[in-house]
Amino acid sequence: MSRCAFALLLLSFAATSSIAAEQEAFPDLRPDDRAGLTEAARVLQEEIKLAGRPQTYLLVDLVSGTIHIKGRGIDLHRIPIEHWWLSTHDGTAATFRLVHRPPVARRKIQPTGNAEQEPVSLTDMPTTYTLPCTPSLFLEVVPPAREHLWLWTLSSGRLWWGQLTAWGTQWIAGQAPPPHLRLILSADHAQSLAWSMVDGMPFILRRPAS
Amino acid sequence: MTRALLSLCAILTIGLLSSTIPRNGPSPAVGSLPQSPAAEDPDLRQLQVQYRALSKQLAQLMPQQPYIVVDTARNRLYIKRKGAIVLDALASTGSGTILDKPGDAGGQWIFDTPRGQFAVQSKLTKPVWVKPDWAFIEEGLTVPKNPAERVEQGVLGEYALGFGKGYFIHGTLYTRLLGKNVTHGCIRLNDGDLKTVYQMAHVGTPILIF
Repeated sequence: MSRCAFALLLLSFAATSSIAAEQEAFPDLRPDDRAGLTEAARVLQEEIKLAGRPQTYLLVDLVSGTIHIKGRGIDLHRIPIEHWWLSTHDGTAATFRLVHRPPVARRKIQPTGNAEQEPVSLTDMPTTYTLPCTPSLFLEVVPPAREHLWLWTLSSGRLWWGQLTAWGTQWIAGQAPPPHLRLILSADHAQSLAWSMVDGMPFILRRPAS
Repeated sequence: MTRALLSLCAILTIGLLSSTIPRNGPSPAVGSLPQSPAAEDPDLRQLQVQYRALSKQLAQLMPQQPYIVVDTARNRLYIKRKGAIVLDALASTGSGTILDKPGDAGGQWIFDTPRGQFAVQSKLTKPVWVKPDWAFIEEGLTVPKNPAERVEQGVLGEYALGFGKGYFIHGTLYTRLLGKNVTHGCIRLNDGDLKTVYQMAHVGTPILIF
């Protein structure tokens, strides 16, 4: 009898743990949020395609403020977003690809040299970078003003000027500028993201309803 | 004792059921959908069903067996099973340095550990290192014509797991360098961790590198 009870106890634990393991893709999603559900379904459809391919990809979740580095649907690493700005929602419901990864100054081994060359490390990665993507989108990463006031101010000025000229072009030529996503990440996280990016890396955006 | 165990089973089962019963809390997850709004709105209900089906589809793409995750920025190798860490090992990964190919204008070797999704393709015991051209060139030596002169024994540890294009997870004589980016792209581990990885991984075990 006690063995039977013990088996039942084990079964209960197993059932509890298996249900706990069944995770929601977006735990922050409210069941009555129609726009949120529509966006989540779109993102999941895109992600399922990516997760079936032998590559890592990024899910830039603007709703939860997190960048997920993923592979096969598994969260490999998470990077918090401090703030973000997206110029327009138009044209952002797609799977984007980075044209190239952020630049890194690699050190060259001198075959005749005796000293071993210093390896590339996280600190060699840039903290500020703008990456073109296909379909057309500009992904800009900048540090927060509290960490690098000068870089933040410079980037904000460029962004302001870029938007002004884009609006001007749109007004004159009737041509909409490509979307621009600005992510404000701490220097460490910007470097961590730059490290994990590869040429042609796909990424998808989960956008808030408004 | 038996009664106590049975009572515990009952409590766990009730707890389990109650966790899946819909609630009208302020922010319930979609997994515990409230009946009333969705029942009144078939479109919303359909969105919820679609979202849950897609979440499940994504979860099914995740490996059900143990898999290997390599964090090249922090030089760590993990074995995980359903998201839980089974092994957390200090590793050495690619240095990111470059070496010019002699006689090939513009040709370079880049000593990065490849990022992306791979799988264990081979498992070797007592592996020998067949030194590639770059191993001689970076030391300022002439590349031998006799293949036998490329073979070096005892430098890769007791085991090696190949994951394609000449990249391996293997052991090292330089354990003091574990935790640093010093390799030519392979992933080095200490003897104990290498043995665990060898025992837990099979041909086909996914390797996710970021």
